[in-house]
Amino acid sequence: MNWTRQYPGWAMFAAMIGLLLFLWGMAVPLAAAPAPIGPAAEQFADGARITVGLTLIAGTAGVLIGVLAGLGKLSSFWPLRWLCDSYVWLIRGTPLLLQILFVWLAFPSIMPEGIELSDFACAAIALSLNIGAYNTECVRAGILAVPHGQVEAARALGLTPLQTFMDVVLPQSMRVALPALANNLASLVKDSSLAYAISVVELTMVGYRVQAESYQPIPVFITIAAIYLILTTAFTTLTAALEAQLDVGQKR
Amino acid sequence: MSSDGTLRTIIETRKVDKRFGTFHALKDVSATFYEGQVTAIVGPSGSGKSTFLRTLNRLETHDSGEIVIDGIVLNDNLKNLDAIRREVGMVFQSFNLFSHLSILRNVALAPMRVRKMSREAAESKALNLLERVGLKNQAAKYPVQLSGGQQQRVAIARALAMDPKVLLFDEPTSALDPEMVNEVLAVMRELAYSGITMLVVTHEMGFAREVADRIIFFDEGVILEDTTPESFFSNPDHDRAKAFLSQVRHGF
Ligand SMILES: Nc1ncnc2c1ncn2[C@@H]1O[C@H](COP(=O)(O)OP(=O)(O)OP(=O)(O)O)[C@@H](O)[C@H]1O
Ligand SMILES: [Mg+2]
Repeated sequence: MNWTRQYPGWAMFAAMIGLLLFLWGMAVPLAAAPAPIGPAAEQFADGARITVGLTLIAGTAGVLIGVLAGLGKLSSFWPLRWLCDSYVWLIRGTPLLLQILFVWLAFPSIMPEGIELSDFACAAIALSLNIGAYNTECVRAGILAVPHGQVEAARALGLTPLQTFMDVVLPQSMRVALPALANNLASLVKDSSLAYAISVVELTMVGYRVQAESYQPIPVFITIAAIYLILTTAFTTLTAALEAQLDVGQKR
Repeated sequence: MSSDGTLRTIIETRKVDKRFGTFHALKDVSATFYEGQVTAIVGPSGSGKSTFLRTLNRLETHDSGEIVIDGIVLNDNLKNLDAIRREVGMVFQSFNLFSHLSILRNVALAPMRVRKMSREAAESKALNLLERVGLKNQAAKYPVQLSGGQQQRVAIARALAMDPKVLLFDEPTSALDPEMVNEVLAVMRELAYSGITMLVVTHEMGFAREVADRIIFFDEGVILEDTTPESFFSNPDHDRAKAFLSQVRHGF
């Protein structure tokens, strides 16, 4: 995508506007489609918004978790390192579906009395923890790729360790980590479909319901697939543009 | 040198000792450096020149002995370290410019973060310093777009932006193509005459002879000679220094 590289600012803007227009406008053309699609247009739009909502929430939380746990894995304080290692090992070694079910079934008994989590919140938590573990590895690799001379220069200038991290190490490590993080985000769009198991009415669940009522799986699943493709394309454009933006000063 | 001709001590090291594992890199090094003095530190590879310089702003920690910089004791006290790093600038062999920041931001970052200057003030100061090293017209570029000599001049401007009392140079021209060495030496010469205290690890004997007030010859972790350029180059006391000089004269 050459255009994305050349005008990253515009590409990001276009992808975001496109996504918003699509989420809130798709019901209009879909409604004009013949049954079983037309009558269920609003349901498709609702499902897509839930899918995108899950992706954005878990995607954002997952980056935060990834940065914190990635740092933790590089810490010189071994209990912290051990904690972060165990977290990644646990999440990457078990199925996402199990993690979603676990949060949904186990959290209510762990949480203090009076706090109730919605199905959506449970799915968002499980997905955040999941993508966070995969992000941890990317962030760690990114931080390790920052040349030590950059840290020395910042420290010699009098920047504190926190300033050195925020102003120098993090931006440079993101340039390395971003392609992998973007990949994880694209997977998340699709992985969020597993939330159907705890009755979150996201896109795949909508498809399942509509075809169950109409007995016409083929048009319904083609529509669902098309919506997923448009969503993943929008997210990929967004992250590719962000990469191009961060690439500034790297090579030229 | 102060107006009445007495020398004011700016750096004092007493019996500074440093080991890397079993390797004894610095052996009870004691030396006093005075304000305004330009000291060239020379010696064979592996003799501890860089290690000595790097203990002065704690990029390496010394094992024993005492380092006092402008009356502040260099130890584990972070307050002292911050104060010292604000007064001591460093220029590295490999420049270590922040690759994700423009030239202007490279120079303005530390004044903004450490001295809490406003962005406008820091950037206008940065532009003045870039003008001083002859690179004002490159302010908007990124480090990779500059030649090695230009990058090293930016690195000098970046160190100067903190108004340091002392500038440490670790082989500032060793990574440069021969035709770029002179532009960097010219900037350093101008600095030396401006009265800033400089400690310069260098293999440029011509520069050392012309600009330095004092030559320190390191060998196997000790200061073997500490004298004026005239006496060092015409008639060194130790055979090791004679051997070093004859090797330098015949090229490496
Ligand atoms: N971080 C380190 N770990 C282990 N050994 C080190 C480390 N840094 C330096 N040394 C060793 O200490 C010795 C002195 O190194 P130093 O870099 O001070 O030498 P130098 O005089 O600057 O040499 P050069 O002219 O090659 O730069 C060398 O033998 C080097 O291998
Ligand atoms: Mg060295």
